[in-house]
Amino acid sequence: MRIPPAISSARIVGAIMKKDLRLYARNRVYLFLTLLGLLSLGVLFWVMPDEVEEAIILAVSPPVKEIVEQGRAGLHELGFSEEKLMELERADFSNEESIELVELESEALLREVIAGTHELYRTGDGDLLVRNRAAGEKRPGDAHRLQIELGIVFPGTFIADVAGGKQSSVKVYADSAVPEEIRAAIEGFVRENGYQLAGRELPVELPEEEAIILGPDRAGTQDSLREKLRPLLAFFILLIETFAMASLVSTELLQRTVTALQVTPMKIGHFLAAKIIFGTVMAFLQGLLILLLVGAFTPHNWLLLFTIILLGSLLFTGVAMLIGAAGKGFLDQLIYALLFTIPLLIPAFAMLFPGTASSWIRMIPSFPLVGLLMGVTVDLAGWSESLPALAATALWSVLLCGASLAVLKRKVKSL
Amino acid sequence: MTMPAISVKNLSYSYGKLQAVKKISFEIFPGEILGFLGPNGAGKTTTLKALIGLLKPEGGGGQILGHAIGRDDPALRTRIGVCFEEKNLYLEMSALENLNFHAALYGIRKPDSMALLQRVGLGDRAGDRVANFSKGMRQRLMISRAFINQPAVLFLDEPTGGLDPVTAAVIRRLIREEADSGAAILLTTHNMMEADQLSDRVAFINEGEIVALDSAENLKLKYGRRAVRVRLRGGDGEIREELIPLDTKEGPGRLAELASSPDLLTIHTEEATLESIFIQLTGRRLAG
Repeated sequence: MRIPPAISSARIVGAIMKKDLRLYARNRVYLFLTLLGLLSLGVLFWVMPDEVEEAIILAVSPPVKEIVEQGRAGLHELGFSEEKLMELERADFSNEESIELVELESEALLREVIAGTHELYRTGDGDLLVRNRAAGEKRPGDAHRLQIELGIVFPGTFIADVAGGKQSSVKVYADSAVPEEIRAAIEGFVRENGYQLAGRELPVELPEEEAIILGPDRAGTQDSLREKLRPLLAFFILLIETFAMASLVSTELLQRTVTALQVTPMKIGHFLAAKIIFGTVMAFLQGLLILLLVGAFTPHNWLLLFTIILLGSLLFTGVAMLIGAAGKGFLDQLIYALLFTIPLLIPAFAMLFPGTASSWIRMIPSFPLVGLLMGVTVDLAGWSESLPALAATALWSVLLCGASLAVLKRKVKSL
Repeated sequence: MTMPAISVKNLSYSYGKLQAVKKISFEIFPGEILGFLGPNGAGKTTTLKALIGLLKPEGGGGQILGHAIGRDDPALRTRIGVCFEEKNLYLEMSALENLNFHAALYGIRKPDSMALLQRVGLGDRAGDRVANFSKGMRQRLMISRAFINQPAVLFLDEPTGGLDPVTAAVIRRLIREEADSGAAILLTTHNMMEADQLSDRVAFINEGEIVALDSAENLKLKYGRRAVRVRLRGGDGEIREELIPLDTKEGPGRLAELASSPDLLTIHTEEATLESIFIQLTGRRLAG
């Protein structure tokens, strides 16, 4: 009988990884999902708007000039001079940072625009074009669409009424999707500008306001949806990879192929090491690819971003192995996968919305990872700013991998 | 004097309160097949798992090829081959890939996997995915996988279970060939005929204990009853059978009487089977 030569741990681990790669490549469902994910998420990123519309576009009818004209006689009687009236006609009621006014000829047109049956476009020269969408008119070329969800209709006697201290009625049209807070803000805007039109001071003394922004003031330079999507895209890819890896581990357990390996010179440590390395490498490569596709790398951040993806890959591989070890079948695995991965996605979704994340979201292992991805790719954070989150991500990765190795080892031994 | 390849002394194992293996002892020598014969749940697979290192024995121990039983010993595992009852093959890989992968775990750089597949009759299906194999083909692949490292000791758990007679015969031939080339083989089965045909010695295991251990021939001699079965034509034309035990006082006389009778049709010797001996010793059937 021939005694086989002693074999090094590296060769055993290498053999298992080679086998895993072969099985991974033959799992058509996950291979298809991975390729589809990379392609579709890459495309999704580039079709997302890369600008933030910070101003609310407000339609007003009739035009201010007309309102002044209609109230001219009454205003003269109230003692308004012709210069004052001309000053009113030229007044710019829009607020550069928050509200832009678009003047429309009639209430009917304003209604159609808010309802969406008509669309408004602005040409490069600043002219307004109306497209009757319901009648099937073509989109005007070389003009961009103005998204108008709010409109105000002033009565012809508005200025005279306000100036004379009479009650006046103003109609505010709003699209059903406009939030309540915005509607309330517009009502305030109408009141303030009504007094301004009538040449009167507001009936109350407003306190001086001083806004103090903690951290960088992002007014005018807010993160676009595209930028905010980066961590979410990377997470989706890691999620597909997590499912694929979990499937690889659970198949090995369910078909008891790992038992056959245990009677070879392989030790359980070799098996666990191969799974961790393989999963991390696969997740790392896919994370790298999606971040390359969405243009996240710069000459300054590539090393930091490499480190972040590596830690993230380790974290998700740990989760994948936990899912793989826990599942007793496809359905089990699916349920565990959802249980584990949905919470991990929450911080990435939270980034899409303004405001500070709740304290419970900060406790989710993926929170520092999302913060790192946003910080490095959007805010151009460096090593020093990223160190606390890097340490937290590393800690979570080690904890999750440690837990998954313990669970998987126990499971393998119990087969 | 030839040293035993496997030497087991007072091996015990329990699943919680259930003692599955109770202080069993046996030896297997190179070139010998020991058939572990017992019904389901008798402790055959538990014994096998304890010997190959998948379970840590609670008590007792022994040696396999000079290596202590119950230790995590990769050096020992390079010299043993195991064929499990469940077909734990990589279904998405081909037969050849399955063998080559296992060979790589043993550090065999250029495995002769193709020759092994041809030996088990799978040469023409070497590149096919195992998922497309029949049960018999998978079992032949399991056997060839157990042979990949040319082991000195083979552990075969129900190697022909549920197979058609032709495939089972092929596998039995392969097992015999391995034993003839010097491998010590522990064969667990509840197939009495297989144990009788293949094993050099048979161990009856029941409720975790070895109740008898010897060659099939000796067990039959020791526990079997000498008897003949006689067929006669009765006065009414009906055929009747009579079993005559030869070890009784009346037996030989009755046989002589019937032998001279004109109604005698046939006389057959009634040989004891391993199954009948097992029932005699344990009160249980093997298939149960």
